[in-house]
Amino acid sequence: MTGAWMAKYKLPTSTMPPPAEARTLEASTTCFHCGEYVAPDLDLSVVIDGEPRAMCCPGCCAVASLIAGSGLESFYRQRTNYNERPPSPDPSDIEQYRVYDDPVLAATFSVTQSDGTVDASLLLGGVSCAACTWLIEHSLASLPGVSRALVNLQQTRLDIRFDPAQQQMSQIFAHIDKLGYRPRPYHTNTARQQAQEQYRSDLRRLAVAGLGMMQVGMFAIALHAGEIQGIELQYQALLRWVSLPVAAFVVFYSARPFFSSAWRHLRRGALVMDLPVSLAIGLAFAASAWATMSGTGQVYFDSVVMFTFLLLLARFLERRSQQRQLFTWADAQSSLPSAATVRRNDQWVTVARMQLQPQDTILVKAGESVPVDAKVLEGSSAVKEDTFNGEHLPRGVAPGDTIYAGTVNVDAALQALVLVDYKDSRLAALQRSVEMAQVSKPRLTILADRIASWFIAGILLVTTATALAWWQIAPEQAFWIALSVLVISCPCALALATPAALTNAASALRARGVIVRTENALESLSGCTHLLFDKTGTLTEGDLTISQVRPLGDMDRATVLATAAALQRYSTHPVARAFSTIAQASGFEQVSYHVGAGLEGLFDTKRYRMGSRQFCQDLVPDFPEAPDATLYWIGLCQEGAPLAWIGLNDSERQESRGVVDAARGMGLQIELLTGDSSMQGPLLARNLGIETVNRNQSPQQKMAYVQQLQRDGAVVAMVGDGLNDAPVLGVADASFAVSGATDLARSQADFVIVDGNLEKIVETLRKARQCRRVVRQNLAWALGYNLCAIPLAALGFVPPWAAAIGMSLSSLLVVGNSMRLNQRTPWKASTC
Amino acid sequence: MESLYLLIPIALLFCVIAIKLLLWAISSGQYEDLDKEAWRILADEEPAKPDPDTRDKPAIPNSDD
Repeated sequence: MTGAWMAKYKLPTSTMPPPAEARTLEASTTCFHCGEYVAPDLDLSVVIDGEPRAMCCPGCCAVASLIAGSGLESFYRQRTNYNERPPSPDPSDIEQYRVYDDPVLAATFSVTQSDGTVDASLLLGGVSCAACTWLIEHSLASLPGVSRALVNLQQTRLDIRFDPAQQQMSQIFAHIDKLGYRPRPYHTNTARQQAQEQYRSDLRRLAVAGLGMMQVGMFAIALHAGEIQGIELQYQALLRWVSLPVAAFVVFYSARPFFSSAWRHLRRGALVMDLPVSLAIGLAFAASAWATMSGTGQVYFDSVVMFTFLLLLARFLERRSQQRQLFTWADAQSSLPSAATVRRNDQWVTVARMQLQPQDTILVKAGESVPVDAKVLEGSSAVKEDTFNGEHLPRGVAPGDTIYAGTVNVDAALQALVLVDYKDSRLAALQRSVEMAQVSKPRLTILADRIASWFIAGILLVTTATALAWWQIAPEQAFWIALSVLVISCPCALALATPAALTNAASALRARGVIVRTENALESLSGCTHLLFDKTGTLTEGDLTISQVRPLGDMDRATVLATAAALQRYSTHPVARAFSTIAQASGFEQVSYHVGAGLEGLFDTKRYRMGSRQFCQDLVPDFPEAPDATLYWIGLCQEGAPLAWIGLNDSERQESRGVVDAARGMGLQIELLTGDSSMQGPLLARNLGIETVNRNQSPQQKMAYVQQLQRDGAVVAMVGDGLNDAPVLGVADASFAVSGATDLARSQADFVIVDGNLEKIVETLRKARQCRRVVRQNLAWALGYNLCAIPLAALGFVPPWAAAIGMSLSSLLVVGNSMRLNQRTPWKASTC
Repeated sequence: MESLYLLIPIALLFCVIAIKLLLWAISSGQYEDLDKEAWRILADEEPAKPDPDTRDKPAIPNSDD
C-alpha cells in the first residue's frame, strides 16, 4: 500500500550535488552552480564554504557571489538539483522590470491592503528543488520592507508582501533575477483556478479513502482472525455493521470519479479501465452490504476500500505532474519584454508592451529584445535570431528591413515603425503552431486500456456462464460463486500495473535531474524509433568560442588574442562573448564600432582593425582571403600589416558524441533537424556520424517533417531548446528540453533536463525501456493470476477469504515490482 | 467483550473527527505544496548572519580585502 507513496516521497538521496569529498575531483570539470562543463582554460571561481568553487560563466559567478555574499551558502548544501545556468549579468536587464512599477500594470497581479502594504504573486522560472524556495524566501526576507515571502514549489509561485514606501516592485523582480531565477507576473485564470479546485478535491477523496481504509482494515483483521479462531455471531455482525457505513462513505464519496468516468465512456461506447474498476468496487460493495444485512455470505469491505485508496493514490500522483505543467505554462509572449520605449508627443516614454499599436514609433536599444514586428525607420544594426533559426551570426538590418518580435537587437539603437499587433506577428504564428502541435500530438493508446476492453468482455462472459452453470447444479450457491469469480477477477493489479511503474520511473528520473512532465511519454519513449536533435544549443554549447588562431605576421597567438579581446570589450556583438574570458591588452584608445563591419581602435599611435575581410582591406589592402568556410573567420590587422585570422566555432558539447553513439547502439535512427542554413549543420553531423541532416528548416517545416515521419509509422523523440523548436517538441511522441531552453520549449517538452548534461537522454531512454519491461511483467502477472484463479473460483474451490487475500497480494506484488525502478544510492551518500 | 459496543463507536467518532480536521486543513490550503513542506521539515537551517561589511559585495577571492 505504501509503495507508490514512499517511492514519491523518499528523500532525494541523489548524486547531486556530489558530497564534499568527492567534489574535489569533479570540481575541475563541472560548474558548482549549474553543473555544466567548465571549459579547461577558464579560470572563474567563487569561494563557498571556505573553498574556491569552479564556475562556468560570468552569469553563474554573479549569482553564486550574491548567494555566498548574503550568507545563504547553506543553500548549496541543501539543494538536491543543480541550478539553471543564468544568462550573463547585464545591468540593462534590470531596466526592463521598471515597467512593473506602473500601478495599472502592477494591479493585474497585486493587491494593495488596507494598511498600505502590497501583496503580489509572481511566477518563477528556474526553480528546480525545494532548496530554491528556501533561498528565494530568505534572500527576499532580508530586503527592507518585505514582510512576507512564500514560494509554492508545486506551482513555482511566489507570494510576497512588502511596503511600497520602502521597496519597489521592480526591485523585487530585479532581486529575483539576480538570484538566477526568471520572475514574471502571475495571472490567475480559469484553468489555474480549476486545477487548484481539482487538486483539493482529489486530495479530499484520497484523505477520506486513506482514513476509511485504516478504520475498515482494523475491523477486517478482527473478522479474518474470527474466521480462523471462531467468532460469536453477534460480534461478527457488529463488526460487519460498523464497517458498512465507513466503506459506504468511501465508495460513494472517494470512488465517485471512477463511476462517473466509466459511465461517461460507456455512453459513448468506449470500454476503459474505469469500467472494470467500477464494476469491481460496486459489486463487491453491494454483495458485502447484502451479506451484512442478510447475515450470510462474506464481506469484502477491506478489499473495496484498499483498492479505492491505491487507485486514487496512483491517480493523484499522476495528475499532480500534469497540474504542475499547467501552473508553469508559458506561451511565446512571455519571452517578450514587458516594456517598450515608444514615441508619444515627441518624447520617448516607456509603456507596457500591451499598449503598443500599429503605426507607433518604437526605440529598440542595443541589447534589447524587439517587442513587436516592426519596420526599421532609422539606424542600422544587426538582430540576433538564433532562437528562431539557430544561426549564430546576427542578420544585418537597415532602414526598410523588418525586425521580428522576440529577436535581440545587437549593435546599435534602432527606431522602427510598429507594423502589426502581437496577434499578427511572426511570434504569434509560432504560438499558434505550438497549439496546433498540441492537438495533433499522436496519443498512443495505453497498453492497459487496450487490454481492458477485452478483459471486461471476458470477465462478464465467464461470470454469466458460471452463474448459469451453477444455477443448474446448485441454485442456492450460484450467487456466491458468481460473486467470488467477480471479486477474484478484480482488476486491481491490472489497473495498478501501468501507473505504479510510471510513477516510480518518473520519481527515479527526477532524482537524476530529469523532470518528467508527462508520465505517459515514458511509454512512447520506450517504443521510439527515431531520435531527432536540434543543433544550436542542443548538440552544441550555443555560444561561439575561439577554435583556431592563424597568425599572419610575427605576432604570437597570445598577443593576438589579448589584442582582439581588448577591442572586443567595446562590442555587444555575440562574437565578443567568445573573448570575454581572455586577459585583455591595455592601452587601447578611441575604440569605435562600425556597424556591420567591425571594430577599430588606436594603440601606441597605430590603428588596429578587427572584423570582416573587406573592413580590414580598407586598412591593409593586401589582407589575404579567409582560410576556409568551415569556421566563422574574423580578421585582425594593424596599419600596414595583417596580424591574424581568428576562427570561431560553436563547439559541440563534450558529451554529444557519446550520446549519439549510445542512442544509435540502442537501435535508434539519429537525425539532425536545424534552422541554421550554414554548413555548420552538415559539418557537425559528419563529425558525430549522423547521416540524415535537414538544415534551414522553419519551425513549421520541422513540425511537418516529424508529422511525415509519424505518418510513415515512426515513433519520434525530439531534443531541442529554442523558440523554433517548441512546435516540433509539442508534436513529437516524446520530447526533451535541455537546460537553458526557452520557457516556451520547456512548456512543450515531456522531459526537461535540469543540469544540461545530454547523457541524461540516454539514461531516460534506458529507464523508459526498463519501465516498459516492468509494465509488461506487471500485466503478465496480473493476467496470469486471473487466468489461474478464475477457473478455480468458477468451480467453487476458492473460499471468499482466500480470494480477498489473493487479490491484495497480487496488487502488492505489482507495486513492489514497480518499485524496482526506483532503486537509488543508499542514504549515507547524501549530502543533506 | 461487551465493551466493544462502546469502544467501536468511540473509535468511529475519532475517525469522523480526524476526517473533519483533515478536510478543514485541505480547504484552508495547508496541503497546497507537498513537495516543499516534505523537504522543509528536515532542513530548517537558518541562514548565517551575513557580515554587514561584505554584504552585497561579490565574494570573489581576488578582491582587495
